Amino acid sequence: MIRYLAKRLARSVITLIIIISIVFLLLRLMPIEGYFQNYDKLTKGQIHTGIVNMGLDKPIPVQLKNFFIQLLHGNLGVSRIYRANVPITEILAGKVPISLTLGGISLILSLVLGIPLGTLMARFKGKFWDRFGTAFIVFIQAVPAAVYYLFIQVFGYEYLGFSMLFKKGDFTTWILPIISLALGNIAYYSMWLRRYMVDESNKDYVKLAVAKGVSSKDIMMKHVFRNAVVPMIQYLPSSFLNTVIGSIYVESLYSIPGMGGLLVDVVKRQDNTMVQAMVILFACVGILGLILGDILMTILDPRISFNKKGGAR
Amino acid sequence: MEKEIVLSVKNLNVKFKLRGRALHAIRDISLDVYKGESLAIVGESGSGKSVFTKAFMGLLDKNGYIESGEILYKGQNLAAFKTEREWQSIRGREIAMVLQDPMTSLNPLKTIGAQIGEAIQLHQGLKGKDLKAAVLEILRDVGITEPERRYKQYPHEFSGGMRQRVVIAIGIACRPRTLICDEPTTALDVTIQAQILELLKSLKKKYQLTTLYITHDLGVVANVADRIAVMYAGDIVEIGSCEEIFYDPRHPYTWALLSSLPQLGVKGEELYTIKGTPPNLFQTIKGDAYAPRNPRALKIDFVERPPYFEVSPTHRVRSWLMDSRAPKVDPPEHIKKLRSQGGIYR
Ligand SMILES: Nc1ncnc2c1ncn2[C@@H]1O[C@H](COP(=O)(O)OP(=O)(O)OP(=O)(O)O)[C@@H](O)[C@H]1O
Ligand SMILES: [Mg+2]
Repeated sequence: MIRYLAKRLARSVITLIIIISIVFLLLRLMPIEGYFQNYDKLTKGQIHTGIVNMGLDKPIPVQLKNFFIQLLHGNLGVSRIYRANVPITEILAGKVPISLTLGGISLILSLVLGIPLGTLMARFKGKFWDRFGTAFIVFIQAVPAAVYYLFIQVFGYEYLGFSMLFKKGDFTTWILPIISLALGNIAYYSMWLRRYMVDESNKDYVKLAVAKGVSSKDIMMKHVFRNAVVPMIQYLPSSFLNTVIGSIYVESLYSIPGMGGLLVDVVKRQDNTMVQAMVILFACVGILGLILGDILMTILDPRISFNKKGGAR
Repeated sequence: MEKEIVLSVKNLNVKFKLRGRALHAIRDISLDVYKGESLAIVGESGSGKSVFTKAFMGLLDKNGYIESGEILYKGQNLAAFKTEREWQSIRGREIAMVLQDPMTSLNPLKTIGAQIGEAIQLHQGLKGKDLKAAVLEILRDVGITEPERRYKQYPHEFSGGMRQRVVIAIGIACRPRTLICDEPTTALDVTIQAQILELLKSLKKKYQLTTLYITHDLGVVANVADRIAVMYAGDIVEIGSCEEIFYDPRHPYTWALLSSLPQLGVKGEELYTIKGTPPNLFQTIKGDAYAPRNPRALKIDFVERPPYFEVSPTHRVRSWLMDSRAPKVDPPEHIKKLRSQGGIYR
């Protein structure tokens, strides 16, 4: 197990180093305007001093080396335009917790609703719950998210008296964004759970379980559900992390000061160092999600062996 | 000697609904199963062996239903069972089944111990230490060495033969009175096949089981069966003791089955195969279902379904050849030779 993990981690680190290098090199191709807040007003001399101060005049390999050293110290650099000369880690520190909490609660909500829904759909395939769930899933997938996000906001505001804007200290203002974020995942989880459960319940081992006298409820819960959850678990971490960083629209709708809109913001404003930091952060998150998924899967599925000892015979 | 009947099937008809049409899979079968006997059901693929026995446990696929007939077991008519509750008094507890494919019959994500334990807990109510002890004993019973270690292992850590032993262990763990083995050895290689058959024989003795063996291989049943029922197109066309079926077969289909035994082949010659295909079960079958494939078919075979003719009190045949008006048709030479050769007993 330890060896497997070490190997898996080592590979991810290598992937990460490659990604960081590529991102870094690509951003060197960006115009140097992206390093100055008021580029137009600066003289040639001032620009030159700025470049030298930031170390941008050095050969690329040296710059790359310096960048890695800086990263190892937990330093993502300083923002140049978005919030000039503020360390990027400081900017993120204010935003990440909000997105993380929002994403976390919405994940829990989607699991709490999505899993029972998927289970009911599989158990009563073709009956009421299945039709109800299918209708819901089709609706969520067919209607653009922006439309029902807006609907939720307007409906919540007009009829239920919720605030249209997010206030960190007021929990009632969290409710609508969380519901909006959860809906997609509820549909997604219940759809996949149903599909996996239906697949599982057609397998031979279920027939044997029926033959040995296990009740259909126990078969669903102890055999089918458990086995269907395993392939889903793998995608859970990624799906959570995507919710955290990808809630651009919901965050802007409720003016939530989270991570969601940040990447778009900094790209629009051509803040080179911020773009660089954000892309690297997203890459890390993506890779982390994959690793966590693999680890969970390895723990839950005995067929994935960590080593060859005690194999089939 | 009066034998006690444990299971009595009367005029059973099973159909499957398929795209608005009905497939008549079991066509009016009647059969008594005696306590403690070992009955083999043989017939080619699609003859309805599995469907027939699944009907005893309420395991028909969703589109299948019992159209008419009775399955009497301990004073109850299983054919009238509707709820899962009713079936649970039978499944495992009274009748257990060993399925065809050991590679897929086990839950890949549960340990062997847990899967056998589930059956024991369900039917004997054991828990904790007692449960584990019972599981270990059954693992020993089915010939799995190092049960302590095997207990914690998962199906993928077992070979095909070992898995079949586990599947059998699960059947036994229910402590049933009747064990149905649906092609218990087809997926295994020959040496393992023999071992599994030996195992089933010894378990039958130890647990005093009534066993039903389903197979399409007559060579296999010779070793294990007291009686043989030959199925063709959803019907039992001949039934008799092992000796009667091997040495005095009367139905042309039984002749054909016997002829295709490798033991009867002449060295260097191709094995006998039955020409033609089984009838389409979507259509009503007129006359003897085997007639179109039977080179010796009589005219009447195409017109009217033959009744059972009794050869001996234990031997029944559904063939017009047995009618007193029928011309005398002898079985093929090599089948007669079977007797002089000392048969196919190994
Ligand atoms: N769910 C189903 N729907 C429609 N037809 C079915 C269904 N299950 C079985 N049948 C049909 O019933 C007939 C008998 O099938 P069965 O599985 O009992 O054959 P078998 O004798 O066990 O064959 P095998 O040796 O291949 O296992 C076949 O014609 C099959 O096509
Ligand atoms: Mg079968």
